[in-house]
Amino acid sequence: MTMELVNSKVLKVGVQHGQTVTARKGSMLYYKGDVTFTPHSMGGGGGMPGFSGVAGMAGRMMQGEHVALMVAQGAGEVFYGLEGLYVEIIPLDGSSMLTVEADRLLAYEGHVQTSIVPLTSQGGIRGAVRGAMTGQGMFTTQVSGQGTVAVLSHGGCFPLQVGGYGGEVVVDPQAYVGHLGNITVDLSASVGFRDVVGRGSGEATQLKMSGQGTVWVQASEKKF
Amino acid sequence: MSIQIHTPASLPSNDNVPDNDYAFSIELAGTPWFTSKGAMIAYYGTVQFEPLSRTSLTGLVASQFSSPLYANDWVIAQGHGKLILGDRGFNINSYDLDDANLTIRASNLLAFEPGLALKQSIVPGFVTLLGTGKFLASSNGQVMFAEPPLRIDPQALVGWADCPSPSHHFDAGWMHNFLSAAAGFFGMASGEERQFDFTGAGTVLIQSSEKVIDDAHLLRHIESETQPLSQASLQQLHRSIGARLTQDGY
Repeated sequence: MTMELVNSKVLKVGVQHGQTVTARKGSMLYYKGDVTFTPHSMGGGGGMPGFSGVAGMAGRMMQGEHVALMVAQGAGEVFYGLEGLYVEIIPLDGSSMLTVEADRLLAYEGHVQTSIVPLTSQGGIRGAVRGAMTGQGMFTTQVSGQGTVAVLSHGGCFPLQVGGYGGEVVVDPQAYVGHLGNITVDLSASVGFRDVVGRGSGEATQLKMSGQGTVWVQASEKKF
Repeated sequence: MSIQIHTPASLPSNDNVPDNDYAFSIELAGTPWFTSKGAMIAYYGTVQFEPLSRTSLTGLVASQFSSPLYANDWVIAQGHGKLILGDRGFNINSYDLDDANLTIRASNLLAFEPGLALKQSIVPGFVTLLGTGKFLASSNGQVMFAEPPLRIDPQALVGWADCPSPSHHFDAGWMHNFLSAAAGFFGMASGEERQFDFTGAGTVLIQSSEKVIDDAHLLRHIESETQPLSQASLQQLHRSIGARLTQDGY
């Protein structure tokens, strides 16, 4: 399977027999060849590795992490795009997991696994506080396996290295798109707690990313 | 397939992030920058953001930032590292002023060096920068430069340099209808009928899109302008706004 960008906002996926591509419902622009589409919902089918059925069910139902999907299979080319948002292709080599919000996922190869995890599983209470502060909700989506994932952003996104020579990166919660690798995300308030409570979006709340990996940020504070 | 991952070393110093016109990387090395609140999208290194009201650099704020109206929207960023700024996915460009002045829409100004002084413009929703230094401005689409005389849709206007402030121009045909219909002052909708008229020598900065967001700066400016009004005038304003709200069906 091949995934490439036609332009910064349109994704082209080449599908062959025996392969599937899962994409957000309503994002298919056009296709060529013999391709069929079946509705699908995230969290179903593949199961939720590491989580009990109850947690999985709660995850699917809560906080908008439940996104309607379409599975395309057959042989041909499918073109995807959504609401003029920018598309970024992220290749996964299987060694680490990509964490991203479900509504930012445009398309992914059929054999990568997605699971919905509570934010509390990555950073305890602070993770939950982060979800509440940034409006991301209490659940997020993890993508694992080997394959390619296409992620949506507003204003185009770019990767920043975390760890190694670069050290820590601090990211605006609204500009945060997702991260890959072994990264700890901490909510930090650099201007003092009063500003966090008082004036909402400023430089008051920040996400401190430490560890080893890559974080994607978008050039906009717009949430979609 | 490989992707290029940015590191502090690969990020440019005071230029757009490679392959992304919507993000700008500033190199901070001791000298502070004034930045618009919320413009920061990420940074490497140690950077502090201080609100203008509680900064250690009170002298700098007093001399370079003379606008209480916008003081809450700005912070001082200082420290060492690479600071990345973004704004609504708009194109970001940097401009250099050399002992000059430039007036810009307040919501399009992202950051400026302390060599520049910010003052509130007489035109609502705009600020004027004076002095020498670099500043960053965002625009919906690439900025075009044009020379007066010209007339421009107010929404497409980003700013202007070295020329007198604009005056309003109303389309003659529209004026005729306006007078004959005897519509109320607040009945005029922002359309093609109203333009800004620039004359004299200078440069006008224009954005290629007319789309503007709900401008909180403009609202606050208008609100502050109502202070000198008398009780009777305020009631008159209250009535006409009320009438417009009913008319619009809210």
